[in-house]
Amino acid sequence: MDFERARKEDVNARIHVALEKAKAKQADLNAVVSFVDVESQIEGLKDIDENQPFYGMPIVLKDNVNMKGVRTTASSRILNNYVSIYDAHITTKLKEAGAVVIAKASMDELGMGGTNENAYTGPVCNPWDTSRISGGSSGGSAVLVSSGVVPFAIGTDTGDSIRKPAAFNGIIGMKPTYGRISRYGVIPYASSLDHVGYFTTSIKDAAVALEVLAGRDDRDMTSSYKEVENYAEQLNSDLHDKKIAILDNVQNAITNEEIKDNFNSLMAKLEARGATIEHVSLDDKLMHALLPVYYIIANAEATANHSNLDGIRFGEREDGESVEDVMINSRTKGLSSNVRKRFVIGSYSLFAANQEKIFRKAQKVRRLIVEELKRVLDQYDVVIADASATIAPKFKEKVQAGNDDIVTENYMVLGNFSGYPSITVPTGFVEGMPIGINMTAKPFEEQTLFNIGLAIEEETGLKGNDVEVDA
Amino acid sequence: MNYETIIGIEIHCELKTKTKMFSSAPVTFGEMANTCVNEIDLGHPGTLPCVNKEAVRLAIKAATAMNCEIDPLVKFDRKNYYYSDLPKGYQITQQFHPLGRNGHVTIETKDGVTKDIRINRIHMEEDTAKQFHSDAGSLIDFNRAGTPLIEIVSEPDIRNGAEAAAYVEKLRTLLYYLGVSDVKMEEGSMRCDVNVSIREEGSETFGTKTEVKNLNSISNVQKAIDAEVQRQIELVSNGERVIQATRRYDETQKTTVLMRKKEGDVDYKFFPDPNITPIRLDDAWIKDIQDSMEELPDERKARYMSDYGLKDYDAGVLVANRELGDFFDEVCKYTENYKKAANWVIVELTAALNKDNIKFENNPCNPKYLADMVNMVEKGEISGKQAKEVFEEIMKGKDPKKVVEEKGMKQMSDSSELLAVVTSVLDANPQSIEDFKNGKDRAVGFLMGQVMKASKGQANPKIANQLIQEELKKR
Amino acid sequence: MEEYSVEYFKKLAHDIMFDISDQEALELQDDFKELVSEINVLDEINTEGVEEMVYPFEMETHFLREDVVENVISQTDALSNAKSVKAGHVHVPKVVK
Repeated sequence: MDFERARKEDVNARIHVALEKAKAKQADLNAVVSFVDVESQIEGLKDIDENQPFYGMPIVLKDNVNMKGVRTTASSRILNNYVSIYDAHITTKLKEAGAVVIAKASMDELGMGGTNENAYTGPVCNPWDTSRISGGSSGGSAVLVSSGVVPFAIGTDTGDSIRKPAAFNGIIGMKPTYGRISRYGVIPYASSLDHVGYFTTSIKDAAVALEVLAGRDDRDMTSSYKEVENYAEQLNSDLHDKKIAILDNVQNAITNEEIKDNFNSLMAKLEARGATIEHVSLDDKLMHALLPVYYIIANAEATANHSNLDGIRFGEREDGESVEDVMINSRTKGLSSNVRKRFVIGSYSLFAANQEKIFRKAQKVRRLIVEELKRVLDQYDVVIADASATIAPKFKEKVQAGNDDIVTENYMVLGNFSGYPSITVPTGFVEGMPIGINMTAKPFEEQTLFNIGLAIEEETGLKGNDVEVDA
Repeated sequence: MNYETIIGIEIHCELKTKTKMFSSAPVTFGEMANTCVNEIDLGHPGTLPCVNKEAVRLAIKAATAMNCEIDPLVKFDRKNYYYSDLPKGYQITQQFHPLGRNGHVTIETKDGVTKDIRINRIHMEEDTAKQFHSDAGSLIDFNRAGTPLIEIVSEPDIRNGAEAAAYVEKLRTLLYYLGVSDVKMEEGSMRCDVNVSIREEGSETFGTKTEVKNLNSISNVQKAIDAEVQRQIELVSNGERVIQATRRYDETQKTTVLMRKKEGDVDYKFFPDPNITPIRLDDAWIKDIQDSMEELPDERKARYMSDYGLKDYDAGVLVANRELGDFFDEVCKYTENYKKAANWVIVELTAALNKDNIKFENNPCNPKYLADMVNMVEKGEISGKQAKEVFEEIMKGKDPKKVVEEKGMKQMSDSSELLAVVTSVLDANPQSIEDFKNGKDRAVGFLMGQVMKASKGQANPKIANQLIQEELKKR
Repeated sequence: MEEYSVEYFKKLAHDIMFDISDQEALELQDDFKELVSEINVLDEINTEGVEEMVYPFEMETHFLREDVVENVISQTDALSNAKSVKAGHVHVPKVVK
């Protein structure tokens, strides 16, 4: 459901329908952590201009986004009772634009996971086939859009946490340039990789949303001063001057023929529209270093970022004889096994004696990887590849970790290492499950992604795609 | 055997800003607990730091005054450890790129020897929360959390307790003059940790050092070091070893006490904070800060001696207390009798304030009034003795001119008026005239007393004395 | 891999203020084998003369926050999420140091 279709119902109805739908689907999808009181927000709309882009639009926030007076858990037990005392920058922006938050969506605990199976409230199911995963970490957000509950949901993306679930759910997943959207008030995973982004079902909505969310925020020192463009107004699907690079490291490693065919035929259509399409390869050694670099940097930053979760000032506090015991008990019980193990690895790689060999080494390789990506993007407008080599896996289905899967399944971290804007756009269905491509452009060239994305949307006819479209 | 003492000092100073290092919540002292905070100071999830410009400005002033090289690219790092007074579980500090490096200050010890103490680094960081411990547990107040600090780390150039005290005093005065910090050691806005070790004289290697923490006054810095040095010498002389440890000074026992042993250095897992991009300081801004710095104590002392002709001691007293010096400078705007003015400020004013236990900031004395009074004495309009009386009234806020008028104190300086008094006194004391002629000089003193008595103390002593001499010769 | 004993991992965990079970420590042994192989992958890449990349964009900023009080929250908000509050303070059991 895109904004256009949502607007066919009046504000009150569309918000309450969304809320009812979300509640009705909760048993099947388990995408919601907390439902949010909408009445006071509807009341607040009186002060908002009806022409605001999100006026009366029901939306969802990933549960790592602070909203004052609302429970914000980041799907972790240790924050299970945490009620935000302030609004995130994007919460304020969305409120000012007239959005009504109906729910806080499930995620992998603290963003640490790619399947949404690691949430304190349990796994989230894919609405296209509830025996399959939603993908993560922004799984709840993706599912609430792809199930037709809301036309828009906030997600965050540290490795591919918006763009992978977008592909598994057949919707658009947008991760703008690092610094384009303020991170203030968004519970981090790894600060140098974290991006705020979102899900929509149409390119136009994605363009409109960025106009609302982007812009300098003095509270986030990494926030960019770059002027926010009129993305929606400038939308243009003409591809005649566009140079598109197919990332062969990924495409050559994909074995699913249907996925391959879908991709190739789409490329042919884009070429027919006038785009220049060429093949590129990034250094293979560097591509195989993507996952190690990601894990090392993300775990190290995460262990420090989450040192504030100690049960002292907020969060679930466990009893103890001394304050140290309180901290230890709260963290032991409040953080899942998976998260604690990652913190041990992160902490280890930060020890003074290990840093040079592990953490700083990973930071150096990160630079080489980004330089390699830049080398390609100096000559092309975007690099493109399938967002996943497979459709959404079934629960507990072990994805075979072949030497090349490590590339196909993790290459989208390129967008996090570099901070370059990156978008997933749905391109069709395989075995009844949605698939999508991913594109990455030069810094702050979100418009390029929207324009090529629009051309793809016109070719696929998947504008407004969700599970209810065929019903 | 002779031992050499090696001392290095780390000083933490709270910066005098309106808001915190990384948040826009107010910096205060003595407010109700947890009322001067926001989500950043409490380390709530999702918060991000934002560097305070004024804190950087004050740190630049401090670094400049201590002759440091200033790094125009400001970077911050995380120091990771867990403690209930540290909300984020890490402290944001400048481990890898301190704002100031390679500085020095010149100290003067009691015996008048000057010496340069090198400064290794000055860096910015944030303070922790305040905890109150009792048997029922600890209470945490986050008002102090996030208060901007600078840490000043000396090289191990200090050799004894007296030098250490002089060094801390020097820094304290400097930072105070610059308006960088309140430097109240007793309130904790300036905190001092000293590293002490001893070695055989002539040795090139350092002995095992101990750290004495939380020294709350300059005199305790010296006492603690003297006690710790004594303790270490006794240990080593007895063939025992100094154990690396953190100690504190016990004022009643006059000795240092073990707090905790140090088992190797704690690994704080420092790494650059990804949330704070490097900040390039504008060269012009730095220069502007440096050019508009307040007069430093050494500069002021030199000015007092050269421009006002004050003695080293007097200049030193005025400089030791910035407010006293500021006041003196005000007085000097209205009088050119600098030495006299200095004397009034140093002796009478200080004594008067002490007597009534008044803090200098509440000093009721108007500098112009004091200057007027000094001028009146100098012109002979009132006597020195009268001046003391007038001063008491000035301390009550009164204009000395009015006081003199009201009390009818105007000194008799008019020669004809005085001559009448002198003549009548001489007429009434023929015996004294006789004595004078017989060479008894003290007769003059007696007559002077009589003149004073007759004039109710208003006679200008200088003129009266002159007239007495002249008139005696005429008789 | 002897240095990566169960006790070793328990100590690492304790340093960052939580406990891990024997089972979790054993799982970490496997994770560390993976970490070692990841480090080996990185070792294969020549990074001589390469600076660490700490931020996605290394453009220096000139921005510093003006020293003006802006955001102060109420004591109620400050303490609203704390489990134990006494006399306007966050209360914790005695600090053992």
